[in-house]
Amino acid sequence: MKAHINGTEYSFEANETILEVARRNGVHIPTLCELNDIDHAPGTCRVCLVEVHRDGETGPAYLTACDTPLGEGWKILTRTHKVQEMRQLQMEMTMADHRQDCSTCPRTGNCELLVAAQSVGLKHVRFRYQQGWKDLPPDTGTQPIIYDRSRCIRCQRCVAVCRNVQNVDALEMTGWGNTAGIRLKGGSVDASPCVTCGQCVMVCPTGALAERDQVQEVLDYLADPDIVTVFQTAPAIRVGFGEEFGLPPGTNVEGQIIAALRKLGADVILDTNFAADVVIMEEGTELLGHLREKKRPTFTSCCPAWINFAEKHYPEILPLLSTTRSPQAVMGKVAKTYLAEKRGFDPKMMRMISIMPCTAKKEEAARPVLGSNGVPDVDVVLTMREFARLLRREGIDLKTLEPSAYDDPFMSEYSGAGAIFGTTGGVMEAAVRTMYYVVNGKELEHVEISQLRGFENVRSANVDLGGQYGEIKVAMCHGLKGTRKLVQAVLDGTADFDFIEIMACPGGCVDGGGTLRSKKSYLPYAMKRRETIFNIDRKTKVRQSHNNQQVKRLYADYLEEPHSEKAHHMLHTHYAPRPYRSTSGADIGAAWDELQTQGGGRTEK
Amino acid sequence: MNTSVYGVWDGVAHDTRASASSGSAVTLADLGEFAPDNTTKAFIADRGFLVLDPDISLAEAFCQYMSRAADESCGRCTPCRVGTQRIRDLLRGFADGEAGGEVLDEVEEIAAQVTQTALCGLGQTCARSLLDALHHFRADFTPLSPAQAVFQHSYVYTTAPCIEACPSKVDVPRYVDGVKAGKFDFALGVVLDRYSMVATCGRVCVRFCEHACRRAQAEGPVAIRMLKRYAADQALHGGQLRFAQSTERRHQRIAIVGAGPAGITCAYKLLLDGFQVDVFDAHRAAGGMASVGIPSYRLPKDVLKAESEDVVRELGGEFHYGKVLGRDFTVDDLLDKGYDSVFLAYGASQGTQLGIRNENPKPEGYASGIDFLLDVHKHVEYGEPFKVSGDVIVVGGGNVAMDCVRSARRMGARSVHLVYRRTVQDMPAERDEIVAAEHEGIIFHCLTNPSALVVENGRLVGVEVVQMRQTELDARGRRSVEAIPGSESLMKCDLLVAAIGQQVDKAVLSPEEGIELDRWNCIVVNPDTLETSRRGVFAGGDCVLGPLTLVNALDHGERAAASICDYLLHGDVHVKPASYMQRFLARNKLLGNECLGKIPPRKPPAKVHELDAAARVGTFAEVETAMSKDEAYEEASRCLRCYRMYSVVTAKALIPEGNGGHSSSTLQGRRQ
Repeated sequence: MKAHINGTEYSFEANETILEVARRNGVHIPTLCELNDIDHAPGTCRVCLVEVHRDGETGPAYLTACDTPLGEGWKILTRTHKVQEMRQLQMEMTMADHRQDCSTCPRTGNCELLVAAQSVGLKHVRFRYQQGWKDLPPDTGTQPIIYDRSRCIRCQRCVAVCRNVQNVDALEMTGWGNTAGIRLKGGSVDASPCVTCGQCVMVCPTGALAERDQVQEVLDYLADPDIVTVFQTAPAIRVGFGEEFGLPPGTNVEGQIIAALRKLGADVILDTNFAADVVIMEEGTELLGHLREKKRPTFTSCCPAWINFAEKHYPEILPLLSTTRSPQAVMGKVAKTYLAEKRGFDPKMMRMISIMPCTAKKEEAARPVLGSNGVPDVDVVLTMREFARLLRREGIDLKTLEPSAYDDPFMSEYSGAGAIFGTTGGVMEAAVRTMYYVVNGKELEHVEISQLRGFENVRSANVDLGGQYGEIKVAMCHGLKGTRKLVQAVLDGTADFDFIEIMACPGGCVDGGGTLRSKKSYLPYAMKRRETIFNIDRKTKVRQSHNNQQVKRLYADYLEEPHSEKAHHMLHTHYAPRPYRSTSGADIGAAWDELQTQGGGRTEK
Repeated sequence: MNTSVYGVWDGVAHDTRASASSGSAVTLADLGEFAPDNTTKAFIADRGFLVLDPDISLAEAFCQYMSRAADESCGRCTPCRVGTQRIRDLLRGFADGEAGGEVLDEVEEIAAQVTQTALCGLGQTCARSLLDALHHFRADFTPLSPAQAVFQHSYVYTTAPCIEACPSKVDVPRYVDGVKAGKFDFALGVVLDRYSMVATCGRVCVRFCEHACRRAQAEGPVAIRMLKRYAADQALHGGQLRFAQSTERRHQRIAIVGAGPAGITCAYKLLLDGFQVDVFDAHRAAGGMASVGIPSYRLPKDVLKAESEDVVRELGGEFHYGKVLGRDFTVDDLLDKGYDSVFLAYGASQGTQLGIRNENPKPEGYASGIDFLLDVHKHVEYGEPFKVSGDVIVVGGGNVAMDCVRSARRMGARSVHLVYRRTVQDMPAERDEIVAAEHEGIIFHCLTNPSALVVENGRLVGVEVVQMRQTELDARGRRSVEAIPGSESLMKCDLLVAAIGQQVDKAVLSPEEGIELDRWNCIVVNPDTLETSRRGVFAGGDCVLGPLTLVNALDHGERAAASICDYLLHGDVHVKPASYMQRFLARNKLLGNECLGKIPPRKPPAKVHELDAAARVGTFAEVETAMSKDEAYEEASRCLRCYRMYSVVTAKALIPEGNGGHSSSTLQGRRQ
């Protein structure tokens, strides 16, 4: 089939939209609500108008490009004066009931709505409609993700990513007219299937969805001379942070981050990679134990959104989860005990601040089991977006900083195995390197295990551990849609694995729900970040967790050996089912109350 | 006086006022008098507007219309959400004299934007006639005069083709929206607002809505019924339904005769309103024809029980089973016992005879469709002995005939034959049912008609049939059938089931009770209020309509409840403005053939999941299985939300309904 766009003829397939054909051929049409990377074109913003001339019609039609299939022989014009005016009016109406208060918006400086406004050449906003949100109370909850309806443009990307990409389906569309928006099913994290993975935040075009901002808490700690501030930075941070300061995506900025933290006045700067090595010592030992007991499979436990998912959606799988704490939680515990002892800190005065690519880590840190006597092992978790805000508040430009290095003598060394925790398959590969050594008393010859390094959402491989274990079957999954299938297969008895690594976010931690946001794209730098992570591994002197000298010292001086009673007490945790659905049936009263607020409301004959 | 003075209809303007006569006036049936003794001054629709009284304020009429549009806007797409509010506010300011004529330019600009770019049918249609009016009659837009400010009343009614096609006027796009939004309780609540038997209707409704669906003209209608079932099943599987029970306990007692769909619905609505309800039924379980007439492979009995008997009991209603009106009690008895009102909904459960030789006395091996289904029901449900073997012939081409052949197959008949006098295309049964019967190995004999039963020693052994042929097209373009002389032949069988229709039992009411019947023994009622000729006694369902559909009965049940409520609380019964509007729209086919101008992307309709034919014929287990959540989301996203609004400006205010209805009235007088 053939049609013209701006005078040039293009061919296309039946049912292809005008936008698809235009985009394929490099013709720009401004869009807002649409997000091609997750195949989402809800047609709600109505900005992508084009002028359409069709045979037999007296005048042109003005149609939205995203949801109109192109027709044979149509002539599409994307730049007529009229169509530009109509796009401007559309944007004017979008802005009319949007909280145009950019200075307080979490998305300021990086907002897709403003890009769209500029793209259509918005000239003025002649009227305002604020009734839908002006009396909305501020969200003072403690959940990691905050929704602000006054900044919502009703694109439903969050609903789509939660439903179709993650298959969690925690969000529903609610409200009516001015108050239309989204909310968690059941109204709260606890009542909904939400696992706080944060993918909704990653696709939100505005500041309607954002992490709960805890920058001020960190500034308060930094300003308090009695507080010992201890920072840890996750494996994925260093490969996904440079672009915020104008560096190419995938640049390793580990050194600059350390320098920035020093400049902030951090008392102790640790690397979560160190804790990842400790996790491997524990988890690897645990897994070998399970293999001997023929208890299979074992699931990894470092991803907090995955833990939430298992507790909420598949509680029956909980006994199969490794009890080893996540690296963040291991770090918190070891710092407030071992490090405090070694360096003479009063644990009560220590504040552990994590920089994480993750929203779910905020919830993890607040778990009562990951603390003692009501004092959490990790006090504050900042996403990378908050970390960027923290640096801006202190006037720090990462790009101009001279790289520095970790200098804590007890907890800052890491192996290549710890480094690759940030990408899918990394935990598996790290564990295999150490388990192989434990079983065979010698190092694995080829440490980069290529069969673990694919990028499909669910992958499996066979790995020869040697010794009494021989070949083991492993699987790796990133993204919860694949996870659901895999877990279901395990429960159904149709999956045959010994060890399964799960990362809830598609792409793993390097593309986690707490990473920097991109405009109009989803996971654009996944491969670059992953490649940098692998390069870090290649450049480390030590590539196996068990060869990390500081880890060896931790065990020698403090924990005795992996899975010792002390290690078990400090570095392991437990899980509990978290039923979220109301079991008392459908609440029709609530449904009727909501219906009452819509249009004609409830009816009676 | 059903003719306009000026206006625009389908884009063509007319003005019959002496000063500027042009075009020809538009006449619509019943346009002049919207309700008895209440004349119409103007009518605004999606296709245009008609002014009958030039003294009204056009600006005010459109302001009220657009005000409703702003209320109806769901808020998802920008131009409708914001544009309708902006138009409303500009018109308000203009009508009140606060803004000058220049604002009409902005109104026109935004109205054009909303019309051209809104996502769904509501936005695309709500400002069309306003645009027409501004284009052709801008001079008639004037600020309100003091006289106009006092009297102008608009009644605005919002509907959609699927809603209007549904006897129960269920707000289909709203519950489809609920599914799409991920709010299954809400979707269920939209339907529960009309009747309780949602999962039942979601399985066996004849789907007037789907036939009216705009998608039907493209790649197939939205699977509305499956979505309804999906929402209902989600809730039923999750436990009981929690209702907002009426806090008011009313003392009035209502007797309902018949626990079928009409009776159950009436009981449900009255109980929600706080009345006391007793339900009498000849059988031992609720459901009426939905219970005995619909086999469990189409409607599992536990689903039916949960949302009929269980719901009514939970709301405080009581059942009196095994009680037959006319045998065990009379209407007089009920009123004597202190019931304040009676609702008769005893159905039409007498099988119709074939009217051929040897039917009387009834030979062994011969049954009516409904009696056969009742025997099957008692066997499957209560284990009562009933055996079907040998060759079975069912006569008829309706849904009951399909239920009979498919039940006979499941009961173990050696062969099952369907005899029908016309062609397969002429069968009134639903297509899906016919296809399912074919898949289950039913042998069809079309253009075949029984002419005599063959009886030996009081037992049926076969039936004499005659071949039929189609006649030429008649003047109305239809073919009839006629017997081919000399084509008689014998079909042997062990059981013959005549499933050619049902009738109302005439032994139920005696003439002394003062309830008027028509010549088919159906109760005569006021079609709007369902009042019978006896004060305080109402009737609905099949005993009024003759054997009709489930959803017709649900509608009657709900309407009867509203009338009984009116009667008991106010002493008389009002016809709701919505009823007048619905009749007016139907009479003039205003929702008939018009179609939205936009071409939506093609999305294939959801597939029906069924048990394999070979597996299902041995059991009465449900044939159609539920759709998945992903399929439900996908299917719900196909809805085009073809909402549109109709407004009348009337001389007098219409009766307010208190709750401000969607398909009932919202009285939008002048805002102060």
